[in-house]
Amino acid sequence: MAQKILMKDQISKLYDDLAQDYANIFAPVKEKGNIIFKKITNADDIVLDYLNSKVPPKEVLFPKKEVLFEYKTDGTNVTEITERKDLDEKILIFGVRPCDAHSFEILKDYFAFGNYQDEIFLKKKENTVIIGIGCNSPRSTCFCTSINGHPFNKDDSDVFLVDLGDKYLVDAVSEKGKSLIQKLSWLSDANEADVQKAQELSKQAEESIVTILDLSNVPATLDPNFEHPIWAEISDICIGCGTCSFLCPTCTCFDVIDENEPYGNKGRRIRIWDTCQSCLYTRETSGHNPRNSCIERCRNRIMHKFRVYPKNYEYIGCVGCGRCVRLCPVNNDLRTIIQKINEIEDKKEEGKVNA
Amino acid sequence: MGLETENQEIEKSMRDTARNLLKEKQVDIIIGYTKGTVPLSSSPIMINKEEDVDKFIWNNLCYVNLAKYLVPLIPQMKDSEGKPYKIGVISKGCVGRALIHLAVEKQINLENIKIIGIPCNGIINRKRVEKEVGEKEILEVSVSDNNIVVKGKDFEHSFAFEDYINELCKYCKVKSPPSAADACIGECQEVSSIEDDFADISDFEAMSSSEKWAYIEDLFGSCTRCYACREACPMCYCSLCFVDQNKPVWFGKTTDLPDIIVFHLIRAMHLAGRCVACGACTSVCPVGIDLNKITRKLEKIVKTRFDFTSGLDTETLPPMMSFSMDDKEEFMLEED
Amino acid sequence: MNETTIEAGQVANNKEWEPKIIAFLCNWCSYAGADLAGVSRIQYPPSIRVVRVPCSGRINPYFIIKSLTDGWDGIVISGCHPGDCHYLSGNLVARRRFAILRELLEFFGIEQGRVNFMWASAAEGERFANLIKKTTRIVKELGPNTKFKRRW
Repeated sequence: MAQKILMKDQISKLYDDLAQDYANIFAPVKEKGNIIFKKITNADDIVLDYLNSKVPPKEVLFPKKEVLFEYKTDGTNVTEITERKDLDEKILIFGVRPCDAHSFEILKDYFAFGNYQDEIFLKKKENTVIIGIGCNSPRSTCFCTSINGHPFNKDDSDVFLVDLGDKYLVDAVSEKGKSLIQKLSWLSDANEADVQKAQELSKQAEESIVTILDLSNVPATLDPNFEHPIWAEISDICIGCGTCSFLCPTCTCFDVIDENEPYGNKGRRIRIWDTCQSCLYTRETSGHNPRNSCIERCRNRIMHKFRVYPKNYEYIGCVGCGRCVRLCPVNNDLRTIIQKINEIEDKKEEGKVNA
Repeated sequence: MGLETENQEIEKSMRDTARNLLKEKQVDIIIGYTKGTVPLSSSPIMINKEEDVDKFIWNNLCYVNLAKYLVPLIPQMKDSEGKPYKIGVISKGCVGRALIHLAVEKQINLENIKIIGIPCNGIINRKRVEKEVGEKEILEVSVSDNNIVVKGKDFEHSFAFEDYINELCKYCKVKSPPSAADACIGECQEVSSIEDDFADISDFEAMSSSEKWAYIEDLFGSCTRCYACREACPMCYCSLCFVDQNKPVWFGKTTDLPDIIVFHLIRAMHLAGRCVACGACTSVCPVGIDLNKITRKLEKIVKTRFDFTSGLDTETLPPMMSFSMDDKEEFMLEED
Repeated sequence: MNETTIEAGQVANNKEWEPKIIAFLCNWCSYAGADLAGVSRIQYPPSIRVVRVPCSGRINPYFIIKSLTDGWDGIVISGCHPGDCHYLSGNLVARRRFAILRELLEFFGIEQGRVNFMWASAAEGERFANLIKKTTRIVKELGPNTKFKRRW
């Protein structure tokens, strides 16, 4: 399908048209100085000029708190269960960076892994259209290119936009994207100069990425070095706050809680975000805790992303967005950690993964 | 004296003290700050070799409260025979206060600790600086004279330092650790009590209940329940935090506004008479919630009711660890 | 009929909203005081639901906050007079806790008057009734507690 042009002053018109088909439109908005993805009802709330959101857009499909179902009891037994009714609603997420768009694919693999298919997430994902946008100015902490990503990667978006200054170049990538663009017949066609400019911007963005990590040996190095003393060094300043996992686009751990209405006969089962960095995460009822200190917990997170993911899914469970690097309160830099791991001498040759 | 020169002097004096301590084996390990790998940040660092002492820095971005690392003691802080290390801690005023208060609560033993005092000249409010700059990446931060200078790819901004320091630092009266114990060396100060009129929160206190509630709801609207504030606070050392209790479940763990407010309200209650106003909770919050008003109120309550300020000496018991027949009870209900 | 019963009757006949107040009463003084009020047939509004605790020092601030989040309109905590505690100093410990909690609740915007503290001894049945009347009046003026209401 030919590429189109969307003028920046046409965003309002775009929103009005999309709102006809999509019950839920999420876009980056500014709230108390933070850019977050929120459901909008007004095109003016959309922030177009931003680097990346504080909280990743995973929270659109996998919110901090989500009701799984509601129930009624008669005091002893459950008498009625009400399932979610909103899973068939159409969702559109506007303005997602390629790293975050890729994280949705990783999340989808996670929620569909093995025998149990998480209906709630997967149904919502099926009904979601992602409008991605290329990164003209990646941050100094971004490293998507080290993990098979690219600031202009459009593979994981349904529609992909490139910011050309006063207008966007619009690319319909998937079938969903193509049918969406077809409905917007008022979009003008792109010309050669536009396409050329987009390609230049893509090249510039790639070249401006300064953080290049060599991840090819990391999974193989991690395996035999579970007890290596380097882990104490890597985790000595970690305070276990969990910011890295809460703000990671691919972290998925959650806790499930049943909440009852006080003095009432109904309740709901909810899931809320949890973190392996919490000291309670592996604590058993006996009080024994296999991961009793930050050393084990930090090690667990790194091993999970860089060893378990390659083993189970054949790719590294990181998208290179750099949020953990920027937002860690004690500046326990993932890039430094990877460097230290690469300096470990004892590596296994087999199991080398092409990062 | 300009800020830059001040910082360099503090740095030099701190490094000399640290070097001597390691040389004379008075400590096995020293915890301090080093340059961050990301602009507007600093990183705690633990050094046990004399030759690494130059990695210690002092700039106005050293916001982590290092007392956190002593409670509970990090496992590797023991030597091969299992005896606890002698630890030195680079302490600005609030870190020193935290260490002294933890000693009062019997969580640490000051005999194994050296409080290396430095005269803190204030911590930059990172979130405010980032907010001012907007959606542009800051690549470099420096201080010159009395300004903070931030530079990016195609911009440079200068901020007046005293306008952009943390709210709590503006009212701080204990800039270097109190010299309450033998553990205190370096730049410490004699202080037994502080004077404070808490005028900065009087406007807020004068607001009506509904105005205050609206402010609180707005303040905590973006909280993600990540508990970074709790993990960064040296006084939050409970092995099982009240929110994680499930026998019984006292309060919800969700991100519903009532649940969020209850968490912060009770955490504040638990910190009455213990909080040292270091501002680490605000500095580490990933979404930039500023807890300064609540912190100031906590200090005011214990100062005006019990004439107590936490972390000034090792003898006085905090208000929640003591009681008196003469306590004021003007709030008690009486018959008309 | 004395003034107390007429007033109580008027309150009881009032069809307006009645507050639900949870009352934590210490076993040795206040609970006995409430019992005395009952035995003496002293009328006071039926707005309180009593929870008996061994001592006012047993009151954990969580009880108070949980009552607010569960939807109780008012909370009243009653113990022995200072110096008369059955456990010698429980009420003195409690008094400090209440002082701090109260100021913090006010700072957060919870209306003054929702959470009340009082001393009532086992011999003070009439005092107990009067203070409950006063509490009910205060809480009624404040209206229902909607601040912590969870939206299900």
